[in-house]
Amino acid sequence: MQYAFYPGCVSKGGCPELYPAALKVCERLGIDLVEMTDVGCTGAGVLPAEISDPINARTFAQAEAQGLPIMTICSTCTGVMTQANARLQEERYREAINAEHLAEEGLRYRGATKVKHLLWVLFEDYGLEKLKEHLTTSLEGLRVAPFYGCYIRRPSDLITKDFKGRKEYLDELIEALGAEVTEYSGKGKCCGFPILTSNERNSLAMAGNHTHEAKSKGADCMVTPCPLCHLNLDGNQDRAGAQKGVEIDLPVLHLPQLLGLAMGFSPDELQLQRHLVDTRPLREKMSVLA
Amino acid sequence: MQVTFNVSRSAAAGNGAAGAAVSTYEVELAEAATVLDGLLKIRDEQDGSLAFRSSCDRGLCGGCAMRINKKGRLACVLPVRSISKNNIVNVEPVRCAPVAQDVRLDMERFHWRKMKKVQPWLSPRQTPSREHLLRDEELEETRAAMRCNNCGLCDEGCTVIVVDSEFLGPAALTKGFRFASDPRDGARLQRLRQLSEPGGVWDCTHCFEANGHCPQNIAPTDRIFQMRDEAILNGIKSGITNPKVARHYDSFAKSVRQSGWLDETRLAIESEGYGNLKGLLKLLPTAIKAMKRGKAPLPYLHAKRPGAEHITRIFEKAEEK
Ligand code: SF4
Ligand code: SF4
Repeated sequence: MQYAFYPGCVSKGGCPELYPAALKVCERLGIDLVEMTDVGCTGAGVLPAEISDPINARTFAQAEAQGLPIMTICSTCTGVMTQANARLQEERYREAINAEHLAEEGLRYRGATKVKHLLWVLFEDYGLEKLKEHLTTSLEGLRVAPFYGCYIRRPSDLITKDFKGRKEYLDELIEALGAEVTEYSGKGKCCGFPILTSNERNSLAMAGNHTHEAKSKGADCMVTPCPLCHLNLDGNQDRAGAQKGVEIDLPVLHLPQLLGLAMGFSPDELQLQRHLVDTRPLREKMSVLA
Repeated sequence: MQVTFNVSRSAAAGNGAAGAAVSTYEVELAEAATVLDGLLKIRDEQDGSLAFRSSCDRGLCGGCAMRINKKGRLACVLPVRSISKNNIVNVEPVRCAPVAQDVRLDMERFHWRKMKKVQPWLSPRQTPSREHLLRDEELEETRAAMRCNNCGLCDEGCTVIVVDSEFLGPAALTKGFRFASDPRDGARLQRLRQLSEPGGVWDCTHCFEANGHCPQNIAPTDRIFQMRDEAILNGIKSGITNPKVARHYDSFAKSVRQSGWLDETRLAIESEGYGNLKGLLKLLPTAIKAMKRGKAPLPYLHAKRPGAEHITRIFEKAEEK
């Protein structure tokens, strides 16, 4: 089981704990990752499609030449690439980009590359049963609030129309790890990160609402498949709480970190100490449970 | 079939149904009946005081938008059978506008006020002396947005409106697109500039919620994206009063253009602006915390990705166009 691995900018920048956690988990699961290094940023919904579509076409062409599907560890990368890939299915548009931007380095995208988030890989390619064979530490007793965010579920015509289960993968994974899902209304909403610059007040209001709601419904931690969500939900949680007039203190884990804990990696190995929200209460709870 | 309707009742101009009383009605309906059929029958036969809006009964006018079994939908095109196995229908007002009475909204105070802000009329370059002929394809995208029936359901789903009722929202922005994209309109750049002010396109989180709520399949989020892309390609990167948005774009684009990927710390600093001491100071506590934990890579020492020159080339060509 081999993938062209697209780690994205944030897993090596603002959330550097994500990249090694993903590598550790995948290695132990036997998911073989061939990292793509000579590739550009997806554009993250900031760059206009006129610029980001050729950059993404270049990435897709490289994976296609290797004969590998792309695996990401970021919902935003996944979403932006999926939207670009949908546009690139139109032959005339694709060939124009090939001719104008890719031909010069001998690349050509034919439209065949598939893009999958690690979460989808686990469910759609790897299989939950096989995953369970690698679980050594039950998370029983731990209450986890799933935070999907936007791009791993929307736009629905591209993401969930043919894969209905994607709306529930995170819930199912939490349960498969033995933990308990904390239900709350914000799990599929936007974290607010994309408007942090343009409208900080609104952005922090969103992050504050979701983390505060999850905490008050009893969650010990939150888990997210998107490092950009993490930047707002963890990195800005104290400011969001201050704006809301509450203390939240809800640890937020990256998907591979939660999975890694259940696979027997220690919190230190998964670099939980790097988060801005103190993760010690979570560790304590886990050691009590163990 | 026998159907139970639980309808939220409220005379107050409060928002949403919180605390509103609920009236329960039992009605006998044909198998294929829609939710609107039921409400009309209740109003005719049981309770003349029940307030809701409806007009065309064809899903065209958008008048009967309501929250039906927890989701915003048009009552007139929704068969009862399709949403409830046990024939129970819960009807509440949609939450995107204040309630006038029961499930009838005060559209003026919310929806129309925002619509007016986007100047929803054509501003031709000059008074045409004859009809303006267009090829079919020229109007393709505009025509999609013309299907908007002002139901407001995209606003109902919008992530931002929940925290900020002044955000123009997907319905008004889609209306803005309808005119900004019209080849006959002469005020395109002016519109893009105006829609780039606070409360406009840059305040949208591009969460794609709106798409899933629009009964006309207009994909409001995609229309907002198109306007943003158009604005950037025309050198409009933000409105006059929100220059941070432009600085954010410039910094983002510069770092990807030069190195292939994003210099996040630099982006945070440059978005605030070098001269903006107050903004930079505000970043400081989080930045120090992040640095201590090795989460804020040193800015400007950002290594180029292999092949960065290809990304630079793509940028230059695309921008030239
Ligand atoms: S995409 Fe933008 S306008 Fe649409 S629902 Fe989300 S925040 Fe609102
Ligand atoms: S864009 Fe769609 S959901 Fe929004 S008001 Fe128009 S028809 Fe309704």
